[in-house]
Amino acid sequence: MTAYERNQAIGDGDEIDPGRFEDTKLTPGEVWNRYGSWVITVVNLTVFFCIWELFARSGAVSPLFFPKASSMFEALWHGLTTTAPPGAVVSGSIRDHLLYTLRDLGIGLVIACVIGIPAGLLMGGNRYVEKILSPYVWALASLPRIALVPLFILFLGFSVKMQITIIVLSAVFPIIINSWAGVKTTDKSLLAAARVFGASRRELYTKVVLPYTLPFIISGIQQGIGRGLVGVIIAEIFGGSNGLGYLVNRSADTFNSALMYAVLFLLVVVSLSLVQLTRWLEAYVAPWRRVEGL
Amino acid sequence: MASERLSMAANRSARPARAIGAPVIVSKGLTIGYTLHRERKRLTALRDITLTVNRGEFVVLVGPSGCGKTTFINAVSGLVEPWEGTIEVNGKPVSGPGPDRAMVFQDYALMPWRTVESNVRMPFELQKLGLSKQEMDERVARFLDLVNLTGFEKSYPYELSGGMKQRVGIARALVSEPDILLADEPFAAIDAMTREAMQSELERIVSETGQTVVFITHSIDEAITLADRVVVISFRPGRIKEIVDINIPRPRFGYDLKTHPDYGRLYDHIWRLVKDEAFQAARGAKR
Repeated sequence: MTAYERNQAIGDGDEIDPGRFEDTKLTPGEVWNRYGSWVITVVNLTVFFCIWELFARSGAVSPLFFPKASSMFEALWHGLTTTAPPGAVVSGSIRDHLLYTLRDLGIGLVIACVIGIPAGLLMGGNRYVEKILSPYVWALASLPRIALVPLFILFLGFSVKMQITIIVLSAVFPIIINSWAGVKTTDKSLLAAARVFGASRRELYTKVVLPYTLPFIISGIQQGIGRGLVGVIIAEIFGGSNGLGYLVNRSADTFNSALMYAVLFLLVVVSLSLVQLTRWLEAYVAPWRRVEGL
Repeated sequence: MASERLSMAANRSARPARAIGAPVIVSKGLTIGYTLHRERKRLTALRDITLTVNRGEFVVLVGPSGCGKTTFINAVSGLVEPWEGTIEVNGKPVSGPGPDRAMVFQDYALMPWRTVESNVRMPFELQKLGLSKQEMDERVARFLDLVNLTGFEKSYPYELSGGMKQRVGIARALVSEPDILLADEPFAAIDAMTREAMQSELERIVSETGQTVVFITHSIDEAITLADRVVVISFRPGRIKEIVDINIPRPRFGYDLKTHPDYGRLYDHIWRLVKDEAFQAARGAKR
């Protein structure tokens, strides 16, 4: 054995093989670690709704303001399985209003992305665009959007256009700011590496900056969904005769508390589902970020 | 011991000759610095560096933090431009990065969204070398094999250990078969045991590919292990303090090297050269 061969033998010691896993039986502790959080959630929610039910049944609060949990779920089920007869104002149907709200939110978010992503990327990539746009972005981003609602009602009336404008204005700023931040924080050594290996200016953007920024854009959209939902409900409460915001408002006016709570509950479910959807999307396009604990 | 050294010497003549030839990197009076925008100051990082690196040579730069070592290889790679003086690679002034030079980075600088294979393939996407797809596939496979990463083609960098990530970095640097390999403290973030193994791998790889190497380190031991010549650079602004020839036969990896009669003398000599500079750097950092 020559010294060189021996050295090679020594050099082999640092092999680590992450692919070499063994199947093992889970101990009860590991089963609990894996599924325990689900059990806790189910028990937690069951207890919560039971206490709600008992409290409502005790009659401490008028059912006009505080329905039984069971009535709420009944109203929710009824609302989602029936359609309103034409011309009815509040028939107890939720489905049409839900679809109306989701459609507006969808249109608004698409417009917000179409404006926000390119704007954010341009601001990150070009010093002059950044200097010109950033005062407006910060001013509008920090302004409470609800203050603009009367203005848009003045301009656009109680129309779908007004509602969508408010959704877009609510959702677009987190998308702009996140895309912008993504471009600005692109890892300098990744850029240096790409340059050393021959990247042109354009390739620096397409092969480094954009892939690096993609998860930022997705978390921008995630925040945009939350803000957009606030925007759509505000817009519907202020004006119009459709959507979940309108329904909350009307059911409160008519003391239909079960329906109102059902809509609120539905809003929570819709919001959480949409956010979870973007989390999955983020984990799918940027698995390395999940590992780093984001 | 004696037979061991004999076998080392014999081995040296047996492996492909590491012919040290014509000048490849020629730097004359190179002065480079940065502009600190916040303090409205210009800071000279390197001053008047005149250095010639010959083909097939393994040159290691040592010096305290902030002495401009990185600036020098950035100048060779074409990432920064000289303020004064000239730097030539293969007889032409450096005017930006080129496929004849490649770099290994301290923080690996692998694209996290690309698999190991795709990271190694990246230089082919960026430099139009006119290779056929088959040739590129063959080279990617060959260099992944050279760094012992066959089987990890589809892994993502975050799934690998530090040592494996840096081997991906080395494969990426070698895949376009550059004349010159630049390495900026490539093993600094790797644990001591893996580092020794990586040093031996680098020595083996470079002996197989015959590249000219400019390598930066803080470790005197690493410098002696790897270098044909050690260039000691002084604290800011960096100047060449002394160039130390290392005439220990190759391959050097492992315990044999530390028992070599020259090792202690060279270590001591380089440490004396670096020590004053390091203390000055530490004081400078405090200020």
